[in-house]
Amino acid sequence: MKITDACVCPYPCGDSSVRRMALEARNLGFDRLVAADTPPGEFFGIEVCTGIIIRDTPLKDLINRVKRERNSNAVVSVEAGDNGFNRAVISLKGVHIIRGIQSAEKNAFDHVAARMAADNRVAVDLDLSLLVSARGITRQRAMHRFRDALILEQRYEFPLTISSYAHSIMDMRAVREITGLCSLIGMDIPDVEKAFSGVDIITASSNPAVKVIL
Amino acid sequence: MSTRPPTLREKRRYLLVSVEPAGTPVNQKDLYYTIADATTSLWGDVMAAVVMPAVVAAEGRFVVIRCRRGTERELAIALSTITKCRDVRIALRLVAVSGTIESLRERIRTVKTPDTEDSVPSECTFKKTPVSITQCDGQKVDVIEKGFKNTNRLFLTREDLEEL
Repeated sequence: MKITDACVCPYPCGDSSVRRMALEARNLGFDRLVAADTPPGEFFGIEVCTGIIIRDTPLKDLINRVKRERNSNAVVSVEAGDNGFNRAVISLKGVHIIRGIQSAEKNAFDHVAARMAADNRVAVDLDLSLLVSARGITRQRAMHRFRDALILEQRYEFPLTISSYAHSIMDMRAVREITGLCSLIGMDIPDVEKAFSGVDIITASSNPAVKVIL
Repeated sequence: MSTRPPTLREKRRYLLVSVEPAGTPVNQKDLYYTIADATTSLWGDVMAAVVMPAVVAAEGRFVVIRCRRGTERELAIALSTITKCRDVRIALRLVAVSGTIESLRERIRTVKTPDTEDSVPSECTFKKTPVSITQCDGQKVDVIEKGFKNTNRLFLTREDLEEL
């Protein structure tokens, strides 16, 4: 199990280079980073995977984009939209993570979407940036969405990932701090450990143990 | 008012935190208000009154924060939600928790000082942009873009500068 931050945004999206983020991640206790629009590599002992974030894209364009990225080893994340959009995205082969449910509508991720996510091994990302930076009603709403997603996760067992969505090293948080933040939304230590290894689950090859040939 | 005997005093814990980015000047009073605001915002007035956070010392890039014993976890979570102090972007990294300030001071003394033997020049380029180096600590190099516009602080490593 590799402790993974499922989304960071290094330079030029942010103000820190991917090497510096990797160095910081090592000091904070991580083993792997998924860095948006960054070639894969290993820096200071930290594995850096390519991440692709697709947002504000019509479904037709999104399908084409996902098809293009299917053979690359990138971790494809799609920003959540309304309920119909999310169901369509989850059923797409090649999408690994649906993110931003804290900013989506209340019913955007329901029990049907949760069931589909579990069947298609699409992870739901818990983006902790709002818990860190937001105050008041915005943070409360984000906590509520996460708690709602966790209830569905306990029932349907779809993968979870945890991301800091850090654009700077100052937005990154230590594993222990993230565990503390996750305790605010009702996650205990085994839950957090499982979510940290969510990227392992979604990127593992999906070859079934038994193949039906007739 | 006479001081209470030790057995009647409330027990306290002290958190040693480092302020990122290195070299950021921290005013103790501003930091206290920032921590109090973060604690109140996250846990509410009732819990903030129980935690009773206070900044007791600031030594270099380290700050010692006091809280009531048993509330270290709550304070640590609240500290992780701090992103700004008086409009200056900062991050507080928890280094250690102790029952005495002296043991934290000992801890500060044992922290390795930055290696300055292999120093980098004060001016470099990054992605063809001239930058001036503000902070250098081992592999970590903080730079500021030169110019009138977009003079942002960038967080790089030595390799990033050597590369270009």
